Amino acid sequence: MSAPLAREVLPPHLTPAADRLRLVTVEIDSPGGSGAGILWSPELIVTNAHVARAARVHVALPDDRRIEAHLLAADRSADLALLRIPRCGLAPAAAADSDAVRVGALVVAFGHPLGLRRTLTAGVVHALAPAGPGGRRLIQAALRLAPGNSGGPLADTAGRVVGINTMIAGGLALAVPVNDVRRFVTAAVGRAP
Amino acid sequence: MTTVTVMDLSSALAGAVERAAGAVVAVHGRPRLPSTGVHWRPGLVVTANHTVEPDREVALTAPDGRTLSARVAGRDPGLDIAVLRAELDRVPAAELADDGSLRIGHLVLALGAGPRASAGIVSTLDARSGGEGDRSETLAVDLTLYPGFSGGPLVDVLGRVIGITTSGASRHLQCAVRAAAVTRLVEHVVRRGRIPRAYLGVSTQPVVLPDPLRERLSLGQRTAVIVVSVRPDSPAATAGLIIGDVLVAMAGHAIAEPHDLVAVLQPDHVGAAVTVSILRGGEPRELEVTVGERPPRA
Repeated sequence: MSAPLAREVLPPHLTPAADRLRLVTVEIDSPGGSGAGILWSPELIVTNAHVARAARVHVALPDDRRIEAHLLAADRSADLALLRIPRCGLAPAAAADSDAVRVGALVVAFGHPLGLRRTLTAGVVHALAPAGPGGRRLIQAALRLAPGNSGGPLADTAGRVVGINTMIAGGLALAVPVNDVRRFVTAAVGRAP
Repeated sequence: MTTVTVMDLSSALAGAVERAAGAVVAVHGRPRLPSTGVHWRPGLVVTANHTVEPDREVALTAPDGRTLSARVAGRDPGLDIAVLRAELDRVPAAELADDGSLRIGHLVLALGAGPRASAGIVSTLDARSGGEGDRSETLAVDLTLYPGFSGGPLVDVLGRVIGITTSGASRHLQCAVRAAAVTRLVEHVVRRGRIPRAYLGVSTQPVVLPDPLRERLSLGQRTAVIVVSVRPDSPAATAGLIIGDVLVAMAGHAIAEPHDLVAVLQPDHVGAAVTVSILRGGEPRELEVTVGERPPRA
């Protein structure tokens, strides 16, 4: 077989991924919750339901503008929330196909763990199976997360979002697959007035 | 010149998991949490000894979800390896890496049944003494061994097996038994149907060596083990070991705690004469012991 690693290997920079994610990851501060969020479109932000706990939340955009966002929809069981913001003029996140994610692939998380703003952590996809019997299908990543990562992106090495970091369990990062997020957003926008 | 992007690296790691996972099984040899095993040679599965309880039916889950039955063919508690026999049609045997090319810093993956993956680097090629030992049996890795990973493969970026990971080998390090050492144990099973267990016939307890004694004898170690019983007619009795002898080294390895004896007494030592360094009445002496084989459990 061809051995890609036998060729000249450049230092494996994750900086392009970090640069891309820095431009699409927001900070969310709401009464009773805080964390990260992803710029889904120029006027929509997705995050976790446990991060956006109020009808109005404060958002710090990647360019440090502070704005107010309105909760458009929330699904507590899926732990997803959709926020509407005034059109911000920033380019939204690129999403990958989360059904194509493979165990062992390198992934990165971007967020504000323990208040450490705009922090990148890296690891590999650990498993794709449900976490337990009857469990939801989440992407499990062997990657360091902390409170403050919630609602932020889990992404591939090109910085394309594959999931929303949602939980930490047994030292593993658990993320809602971005394909589920896409379905949630489509349904929520369809219902919206 | 072609350049390799980090995306290529990511795809290579995912490909390595896919290639290796075909030979990885779940091992149900203890209550609750299954461990992991590797189809090493046709009909023989290797796993971590501490995850397979004695006198127990063992079931395997193949990569395609089938349940297969297995039985223990041999154990080496020193390296924490158990070899199981099972009918594993349609499960390929693992591809082994040439571990002579392995270096500190190499990127490696540990796999659990499922598959599940964890990535990290080789920390040391000799987990027992540190450093670059070529003939070492265990290496240490800097990665997380998640619950249930024990007995699973450590693989290189091409998915070839470098060793078997076990959380039972060290309290402090994440270790793997190198593939060459695993193959030696598997060959015992192929040739003799079992892994012989080396036997001295002594019971020991740890003792602290007084500093003046260590200085006088230039001993680096702070502890050794004292012989508290000698079985009659055992290899130890034949060699002249008596109660109260302090064992400080065997076959060139320092003995600082009772587990070191188990670690040094590899199956390959059965029938061989090894030199045992002891302190008797505070004076150093050397004895030759011909290592015996522990009789199989009834």
